[in-house]
Amino acid sequence: MFLVTSLILLTACGHDNSDSTDACVTVWAHAGQESERSVLIEQVSRFNARETDCRVRLTLIPEGSYNAQVQAAAVAGGLPDLLELDGPFLYAYAWQGRLQPLDRLLPADLQADLLPSILEQGRYHDRLWAVGTFDSGLGLFADRVQLRQAGIRIPDLKAPWGAAEFEEILEHLATRDADGQVLDLKLNYAGEWYTYGYTPLIQSAGGDLVARTDPARAEGVLDGPSSVGAMRRIQSWILRGRVDPNIDDAAFATRRVALALGGHWNHPRYSERLGEDLLLLPLPDLGHGPKTGQGSWCWAVSADSTHPDGAARFLAFLLEPDQVLAMTAANGAVPATRRAVARSPRYRPGGPLDLFVEQLDGGYAVPRPSTPAYPVITAEFQKAFDRIRSGGEVQAALRHAARTIDLEIEDNQGYPLVGRAREETVR
Amino acid sequence: MSAPNARRRLNDQTAVGLLLAGPAMLGLFLFILAPFLVALALAFTNLRLGSPLPLEFVGVKQFERIFTDPDFLRALSNNLLFASTVVPLQTALALGLALLLNRGLRGTVVFRTLFFMPVVFPMSLVAVVWVLIYAPGPEGMMNGFLDLVTLGAWEPRDFLRDPMLAMPALMLLSIWQGAGFQMVILLAGLQQIPEELYEAAALDGAGRWSQFRHVTLPQLRNSLVFVVLVTSILAFRLFDQVQIMTRGGPDGATTTVIYEAVQAVFTRQQVARASAMTVVFFLLVLALTWLQRRLARQEREIG
Amino acid sequence: MKASRLGRLGSYLALTGLALLFLAPLAMMLAGSLKPNERVLVEAGTLAAFLPVGASLDNYAAVFERTDFLRFLFNSVFITGTIVAAGLIVNALAAYAFARLQWRGRDLLFNLVLALMILPFEAIAVPLFYGASILGLRDTYIVQILPFIANAFSIYLFYSFFIGLPRELEEAASLDGASTLRIFFAVIVPNSKPAFASVAILSFLTWWGSYLWPLLVTIVPEVRPLPVAIASFYTLPPLQWGDILAFGTLMVMPVLAVFLMFQRWFVRGVASSAIKG
Repeated sequence: MFLVTSLILLTACGHDNSDSTDACVTVWAHAGQESERSVLIEQVSRFNARETDCRVRLTLIPEGSYNAQVQAAAVAGGLPDLLELDGPFLYAYAWQGRLQPLDRLLPADLQADLLPSILEQGRYHDRLWAVGTFDSGLGLFADRVQLRQAGIRIPDLKAPWGAAEFEEILEHLATRDADGQVLDLKLNYAGEWYTYGYTPLIQSAGGDLVARTDPARAEGVLDGPSSVGAMRRIQSWILRGRVDPNIDDAAFATRRVALALGGHWNHPRYSERLGEDLLLLPLPDLGHGPKTGQGSWCWAVSADSTHPDGAARFLAFLLEPDQVLAMTAANGAVPATRRAVARSPRYRPGGPLDLFVEQLDGGYAVPRPSTPAYPVITAEFQKAFDRIRSGGEVQAALRHAARTIDLEIEDNQGYPLVGRAREETVR
Repeated sequence: MSAPNARRRLNDQTAVGLLLAGPAMLGLFLFILAPFLVALALAFTNLRLGSPLPLEFVGVKQFERIFTDPDFLRALSNNLLFASTVVPLQTALALGLALLLNRGLRGTVVFRTLFFMPVVFPMSLVAVVWVLIYAPGPEGMMNGFLDLVTLGAWEPRDFLRDPMLAMPALMLLSIWQGAGFQMVILLAGLQQIPEELYEAAALDGAGRWSQFRHVTLPQLRNSLVFVVLVTSILAFRLFDQVQIMTRGGPDGATTTVIYEAVQAVFTRQQVARASAMTVVFFLLVLALTWLQRRLARQEREIG
Repeated sequence: MKASRLGRLGSYLALTGLALLFLAPLAMMLAGSLKPNERVLVEAGTLAAFLPVGASLDNYAAVFERTDFLRFLFNSVFITGTIVAAGLIVNALAAYAFARLQWRGRDLLFNLVLALMILPFEAIAVPLFYGASILGLRDTYIVQILPFIANAFSIYLFYSFFIGLPRELEEAASLDGASTLRIFFAVIVPNSKPAFASVAILSFLTWWGSYLWPLLVTIVPEVRPLPVAIASFYTLPPLQWGDILAFGTLMVMPVLAVFLMFQRWFVRGVASSAIKG
């Protein structure tokens, strides 16, 4: 009896809109900020009002353990037609055969309009599996007044701060600062931020999380001299007291520090507090040019979807300039399509955040490794960073992380393309 | 009663017995015994949730892995630390409360109700509420309280992100939530101690402390052993608070065996590895139970 | 034990002090649930934390607006209620068979029950999670109910009680030719109310707060119970402490009311769990 009740609850979709046949696209999305949620809910109802033969039913799932929940649901084919994934986790879904390629579902002109970073993130074994309606931007926010008073040159992508120059700047700023803490690395964020925010510095020094080979490999790369050197630098900034712990999440907004590593999501608050004094700069160049992060939530169609065309139509709708602009106005992220960028007051050329677009479009942004091992890579890097920030030996922490990552890749035989995933890639 | 008659009767009861016990036994087989045996078996494989690769037997590799994994070893030692701190403190607090409530004072029921109240709170709710209590900065409740009792000497701390304070913070709320349960059991034990024993001890000239040591504690032994066992097992099951409040951090300071197992199976899909962890967990619980049975039996032999 | 006047005063002081410490988090939750969101954290470190100045029910309205609270409440009541009710019948019947009937395999099975008593849920959570996932049973009520109905400890509690009942009760009925099942329902059950109350309360306390299992096997709000709902409400931005505390207060109110009404039974039920030793 209880089984029956619950089955009815779960299959209730499709019963409510009687006139259309079985056109019902189920969608799962993560429950982000309130503004994002309400935009998405609005978009669903707008789409449902516009389309006559295709209806979308949206379930919002709290972010807490979204990926773990969705992974488990995937095992017995419990995925909806269209689902939102956190970018770097999508390769695991693709490898397990849970997704179907998007490149044959989305119109070609739409794909051509996407920023290269979006296409890079969604690619795995030469197929496109997921696209986001927005991307992320990572940069160095700076306080124009404090830089001017200290007589510091304002850098750009063509002439970024070098490693030695950056460290001199930190020391110089420290002499003018009450507590000597002049940089905010968002140490209070933890989690995926560590990987997202700090690997660009490693990459700028010539290191990386893993070698971008197939299969990926961490030993000799994550614990190689370049990565170790970069992490030693970051550790020395922290241990020398140049970095604000940012426990109140307001180090930069209250002008306690002159420099803050941060993302597009920080911009609204910072510009509100600093106004014209707010600068957005590229990350320092630690030897191999300035690098930055990329990637965000993206949409994918499940392999078992019975309405892939409806799902793709809804996704194409979300990628229309108006919809992209509505979403990015709500969450502050970088619009995923060039047409939307051109119309965005913040991101169009000359806008306050055009640096983010330049970074994503000009090859400065490095995608996170496209391997199903990413969840383990990021978890191990986070643990290693936790150790490093509290003074642990850098080489040992990174070597342990590298070994664990390689063991995971080995355990999975290097993620050979088998079964359903192989079928899907040739579809 | 003749022999055939007795056998028929026995047979009749076998049918009825199986019928009555059947549903429960089926449930125990399907949902407890079988999963447990499966967990034992899975610990020797490489099973992963959703992996397209074939299943293999890998011998004791998973156990080798977890016992060389610093995070799992940290989890084990955290569980031991939690148990060795919370068990004595919580038992002492529960015993103190029970003794106070057993003095025949007016209003005892009201106090008993108050102390027991947190027990009906789900741990996940308690954890969420205590995140607010442990809020960093001077505006946090715990910081404010410590500032008050130290007359302003306390420097505000970020309890849940401080490697030294995160574990004690979890211990405190666990004691708050669980002490009432133990108190009730000990109170019931106290009330079963015959008044004559105290009278006899008083006649022998025994003081308060001596009565407590020579009458109360020995008489309460089985209740105490039970309370200690249950609290120890709870200490090894520690999960909800960790998941909600600290996610095992900072830097592994609050990770636990069950948290590591859930991380393995839930966020990394490593079913076999998680199974190996829960087998270790089970062996720990088994050892504790065995110890308690031994202690309790000793008592019976003496008594 | 008699206490001197001074001793009594000391006891009251100690009890009152401890009671205040025990009550503080609850008082803070209740007061905070009535305050404007932005004031909750700011005032948490002062005595104002316990005073609902400017009280309103706005946060409660927000809970119903921002979450599907009634759905979560229904889920919790339905899941826990079914486990408890079905568990009472199934486990009491089994215990009766063990305590009173002579049948082949009885001792073997009863020893098994005793052995399973020490197996905590966490020891079998991984294979259960795996099974639920591959069988496609996630996000259902059944997966949150069925595994927990049969319970070794409940059987043992019933068994301990039944074994102490005088046999004459049943013998009179069996002379009348009543069937075993009828004897059970007509004679045993009415004489075992304390045992049923204890088992009901203990299993209620166990499953009402259950967090790990629903966290593992549910994702959609339609079947999620309160303990996971509050944890995920807490992670849902924006972080509004007033709303969270209102959610918490709503969540414990019904249970607290039941507890206060039947607190004697709760205490007796919990105390009876100690017979395990």
